[in-house]
Amino acid sequence: MTGVAPANAPAVGTVRTPGVTTAESPLLEVTDISAFYGRVHALKPTSLHIGRGELVTVLGPNGAGKSTLLRAITRLTPASGRIAFEGRDVSGLPTHRLAELGVIMVQEGRGLFGQMSVRENLILGAYTRPGGDMDKQLGRVFELFPRLKERIDQISASLSGGEQQMLAIGRALMAEPKLLMLDEPSLGLAPRVASEILATLGELNRQGLGILLVEQKAPLALKLAKRVYVLSLGQIAAELPASEIRSHHDLARYYLH
Amino acid sequence: MADITQLLQSLITGVGVGLIYGLVGIGFCVIYNASGIVNFAQGVFVMLGGMICHALLTRLGLPLVLAAVLAVPIVAGIGMLIETLVVRPMWNRGATMFAIILATLATQIMIERITILTLGDQPRSFPEFTPGGPLKLGDIAVGYQLFWILGCGALMVGLLWLFFTRTRTGRALRACSQNREAAALLGIPVGRMLLVSFALSAALGAVAGILVTPTQVTAFNIGTPFGVNGFIAAIIGGFGSAAGALAGGVLLGVLQAAAIVLFGAGFKNVAALSTLLVVLLLFPSGIFAGFKGFKRA
Repeated sequence: MTGVAPANAPAVGTVRTPGVTTAESPLLEVTDISAFYGRVHALKPTSLHIGRGELVTVLGPNGAGKSTLLRAITRLTPASGRIAFEGRDVSGLPTHRLAELGVIMVQEGRGLFGQMSVRENLILGAYTRPGGDMDKQLGRVFELFPRLKERIDQISASLSGGEQQMLAIGRALMAEPKLLMLDEPSLGLAPRVASEILATLGELNRQGLGILLVEQKAPLALKLAKRVYVLSLGQIAAELPASEIRSHHDLARYYLH
Repeated sequence: MADITQLLQSLITGVGVGLIYGLVGIGFCVIYNASGIVNFAQGVFVMLGGMICHALLTRLGLPLVLAAVLAVPIVAGIGMLIETLVVRPMWNRGATMFAIILATLATQIMIERITILTLGDQPRSFPEFTPGGPLKLGDIAVGYQLFWILGCGALMVGLLWLFFTRTRTGRALRACSQNREAAALLGIPVGRMLLVSFALSAALGAVAGILVTPTQVTAFNIGTPFGVNGFIAAIIGGFGSAAGALAGGVLLGVLQAAAIVLFGAGFKNVAALSTLLVVLLLFPSGIFAGFKGFKRA
């Protein structure tokens, strides 16, 4: 997959100056982001970062605030705190402006336009790239997900769960994102289909795409990730390299089995 | 009891008026699909279409074609003003849908008052687009304006179809109607789509108003009956479906015409509201969504 950001060295551990664009600026840097649902403090001040070309996984049980975190970053849910993308403060930007910059999210439940065909969903994915070579972009998506080509004129609501997830990811890729955020992409899928989709995400990441992957239980996701944030009760309980999660008995028992 | 010729004559007129209801109904759907807002100021676009076209004809002395062509973008602009001055500020502040809908109703009343002050309160009309007629089919007379309504109605529906399926903005509007959050996540400016929907909806109303005025009169207060009947047409068709609203409008127009002939003019609104009640009772999702009967979910 071309058209995504080139693979730069992950910026984990580098010194960063907020608000200044430098080669070392992480792709996404979230500082003290916090969100409420009514009077419920669903996301307590939380900070995280994703390096360029890095795949980071956020794990957490149901209700830990994972979806709220992604919704807060994309401004679907009002939130306080600072968000910087490629070193630029984007805290005040609305959802669609973030998408224009290259921050694309695949929602839990896939968020497809159910009454539209696969083709129309994909074309809408390229909304922020008017005048782009649509056939070339479609060709790239079909290379990753050949099944979508077979279903091109089918109404998207009639696709199987796995195909719908492929379409949701394919549609996101049509926008040529720099950062792809996915909210529980393997939810409700057969294990074989889930691993197929996660393998594709791994391939996209190897080609340089920054990915923030949110999962509830994810032995597969952990194989792909370099770093893991564990979210619990609306805040980050741990940040550690994915390879170390096995050495934490409690975490390994919950998330790997 | 009316004879068959009289009934057929009325039904043909009913089809014409029904198409106008259908266009107003589509206007309701366009805004509702983009935002979830039911714009009760929809009827004033019909009134403004006729009134502004008449003003351009009589006060500026423009030819009918030019007056009609100019009136549509002017009304579309007024639709955009309503969105910008009334709906958008409330939408941005997170006002409840109920409050926004009430505000559109207040806007209708305000525009009616402004119309009285600027254009007057007297009913008025302008000539049919094609002079002469009517066309005689046996004992039935069909005015040329009906053909204009049919032709322009079909053209509008065709253009709308092309707009919604072939253009970037049209597709984006449909995306907003199905999943506003997903649309925003793909970079579609959902707020701007609301503005587009008001412009489009107002233009549709204006076309309806210009087409129907030669067959009757227009005045500051015709917005309410057209708005109510357009709203019923949209509900019959399953609120949100453009094709459904058009078919619902024709059905409503024909039923009203039949009721007038069979029971008297006083039954026009009775027919419309009875149709609404029957549809809501038996087909709560519109007559094209299938019979729901008295089954409980």
